[in-house]
Amino acid sequence: MVRLSDGVTNMNEDRKDGAAQGGEDSREYLTFTLGDEEYGIDILKVQEIRGYDAVTKIANSPSFIKGVINMRGIIVPIIDMRLKFNLGQAEYNQFTVVIILNIAGRVLGIVVDGVSDVIALDREQVRPAPEFGAILDTDYIDGLATFDERMVIMVDIEKLMTSGEMGLVDQAQMGAY
Amino acid sequence: MTIDMSQFYQVFFDEASEHLAAMEGLLLDLDVEAPDLETLNAIFRAAHSIKGGAGTFGFSDMASLTHSLESLLDRLRKQEARPTVEMIDLFLRAGDLLKEQLAAHRQGGEFEDARVEEVCRKLEALSLAGSSTGPAPTPATDPIQVADRVWLVEFLPESLKLQPGTDLQALKQALAEIGVLDVLSEDREGPHRWRITTGLDREAIVETFAFVCDVREISVRAGDVGVASAGDAAVDEAGFTEEYDGFGLFSGAPGGEAVSDEEDDGFGFFPDAPGSETLSDQELDGFGLFGGSPGMDRVAAVSNRNRVDQERGYGFFDTSPGVPEVEDDAADKPTAADTASIAIAPKKAAGAARRPSSGDSSIRVSVEKVDQLINLVGELVITHAMLAESASRLDPVINDRIFSGLSNLERNSRDLQQAVMSIRMMPISFVFNRFPRVVRDTAASLGKRVSLKLIGEDTELDKGLIERMADPLNHLVRNSIDHGIETPERRHEAGKPETGEIILRASHRGGSVVVEVTDDGAGLNRDKLLAKAAKQGIQMPENPSDKEVWQLIFHPGFSTAERVTDISGRGVGMDVVRRNIEEMNGRVDIDSYPGQGTHITIRLPLTLAILDGLSVRMGDEIFILPLTAIQESIQPRREQFKSVAGRGQVVQVNGEYLPLVVLRDVFSLDGEPVQQEEGILVIVDTVEGRAALQVDELVAQHQVVIKSLETNYRKVEGVSGATIMGDGRVALILDVDALVRLNRKAA
Repeated sequence: MVRLSDGVTNMNEDRKDGAAQGGEDSREYLTFTLGDEEYGIDILKVQEIRGYDAVTKIANSPSFIKGVINMRGIIVPIIDMRLKFNLGQAEYNQFTVVIILNIAGRVLGIVVDGVSDVIALDREQVRPAPEFGAILDTDYIDGLATFDERMVIMVDIEKLMTSGEMGLVDQAQMGAY
Repeated sequence: MTIDMSQFYQVFFDEASEHLAAMEGLLLDLDVEAPDLETLNAIFRAAHSIKGGAGTFGFSDMASLTHSLESLLDRLRKQEARPTVEMIDLFLRAGDLLKEQLAAHRQGGEFEDARVEEVCRKLEALSLAGSSTGPAPTPATDPIQVADRVWLVEFLPESLKLQPGTDLQALKQALAEIGVLDVLSEDREGPHRWRITTGLDREAIVETFAFVCDVREISVRAGDVGVASAGDAAVDEAGFTEEYDGFGLFSGAPGGEAVSDEEDDGFGFFPDAPGSETLSDQELDGFGLFGGSPGMDRVAAVSNRNRVDQERGYGFFDTSPGVPEVEDDAADKPTAADTASIAIAPKKAAGAARRPSSGDSSIRVSVEKVDQLINLVGELVITHAMLAESASRLDPVINDRIFSGLSNLERNSRDLQQAVMSIRMMPISFVFNRFPRVVRDTAASLGKRVSLKLIGEDTELDKGLIERMADPLNHLVRNSIDHGIETPERRHEAGKPETGEIILRASHRGGSVVVEVTDDGAGLNRDKLLAKAAKQGIQMPENPSDKEVWQLIFHPGFSTAERVTDISGRGVGMDVVRRNIEEMNGRVDIDSYPGQGTHITIRLPLTLAILDGLSVRMGDEIFILPLTAIQESIQPRREQFKSVAGRGQVVQVNGEYLPLVVLRDVFSLDGEPVQQEEGILVIVDTVEGRAALQVDELVAQHQVVIKSLETNYRKVEGVSGATIMGDGRVALILDVDALVRLNRKAA
């Protein structure tokens, strides 16, 4: 499921630690860091992880859409989650990681600071997030989970990426799904 | 276990629709005054093939309708009756009904309509009429109820080469479905002998066998109920093989019907013929062996014609663009007859190799698979470009083997790309062939007299384009008949022949395909168009050029027809036509001369997958401009730039003021703006006229593989797609029409 490219954390080793616990109906999540925060997404949506390449900018698109890259002949849009979540200025170096997601039949990549773990969580371990009011739209946040004393923010990545505010998908087209 | 026939349905559906299309074309081509025997025969064969297939697959409604059709056609081709206009109309109606039945079966349903019965009855009435002197007509009912006949089947079980997954038991069950099966002898050692009593003909039985085993090992003979003894069953292998070879149902090519020609005509002679294991080519000559048989001359004529077609056919398959059109030829026989003959050619070419595998010279492949192949080849081309770029830094003397390898790779991948692209190419006749009917029906309903001329139907273009051409062309042709061609009286007054003419012409011109629709009607009326434009409040420049006036008809909601008919005049057509064509990266142009007619030119790229483009640099980004849009590029001088208050900037080029589109501003690219005179102006042709596009630099000319941005992202204004450059980076393909629109919005 997860393919590795050069210069990226070896996920198989991480998986040994992370997947050690968790029961029958637990699901696996890939966690990544953005600034000081740690986020988790459903690992079944992840296609591969690769380094950051030069992108081709797309005119008149929101700033968090970095542009498109060529991934083995497929044109893939790249979104910088740090810009999307307003987590400060993002730096791009050889350690910058792009998680390639496969959502609703579309392939897209998200830029994150680093991939940390694959963890298995039971449904009960995820607690609902408190309301933040107007400051933060929690629609895309499934809940908060604690893992190894760290707080992981569980994101419904499919809902987020297909939402109108991302402008990734023509809304008329979405009717088909 | 029985044989599941449904897996072969798709083949039958495809074959049958091709036969129906061929039949329609031939019917329209038929001259009632002097019916051509060959045409009648071809129509009969098409109907016969449909009947055979429908019977085998159990579509009895289609079988019975074609049976009625066939009995009348049979009388016509035997010259026992003369064709009349009434008959042709009836045949066409029957063809329509068959199409509907076919469509219903495709959906898995049944088509029931009182019209079927009515047409059947009329057909039968016509075939009975005046037959008192001729032989008694075949009772025209469901073929299943035709008097049962007895067939003797003999084979050696071990030499059958049954397909995996079938056994004799399944075969028996399948045969039992079509008639009564008696097993005469079934020794373990000796040959098996079965007797089948059925209403179907020999062909149907052979077909049943053909699904599961090598039919050359089986003998099927007609037997009498009384003489049905198994002992005298002489192996009649030769006759059998001949028949199977000709059997077209599974040959799977558009010319399937044509392949069965020999068989259909020869049927009846072969079973008694002395066996001869002749090869396909000789097979045509082989008809001579049966000299003296009744109808011999006709058979020879068919074989000759096929050979002529075959020779002529080779020329059409030259895929290099810009092949001179064989126009004389196409003009002489402007209908489906030609297509059929084209389709024969590759088959005949493979004739020598055909015998062992029996008609496998073409296969049906889903378009998706072909597209996947095209994509992969596109990747290969890109990979090669990337390799070549990395290798360009190497020393050519030391690494000469790498360089020669690379140049080989380039040649091979280019050949591969061309070969793969040619899979998708189809002759435009697939669209053109529907028009004789469209013209006939439309003209008849309007009381006009119109003849249609098709030129260059063999022009090949991408299958995707062909399918999308159908609607716009249909619209244009109907418009020409409704608005363009005048009524016979008015034409007479104007001193023109009463029959109007519409010409559909396709040709290759310098890497693109040009389709023209020409009529010799009244032409567009400049004053009327301008008056209408004023009424609708459409802005027009003063003293507009003819071209600008003609472009008005592409305006949404624009119709100059005095009255709305069910054919045209609602004004929802031409704008859709233009949009459809522009979506295919094509263009439409109109020329019109009052009283002489209108000429519409559609220019399309050869394919949707590859684009000839010029790469331009703007800052750090590379963009691709489609070559079709570019007129010229100039190095501007400072004094050419002018500004107009409130309307943005213009550039004076050759005495004309063109709107200036600065790519950097439109796309809000960052970076130092360059001095105006340091950039390059590319003059592009857009829907709204010419415009000057300012870029930093022209880089190179490429053939690029078009990739959609919408697959994973969404539509981006000003961009029609993306491509991958030699260095692996993505470059956006610019849409000049949208750029001009964006520019105006920004200004």
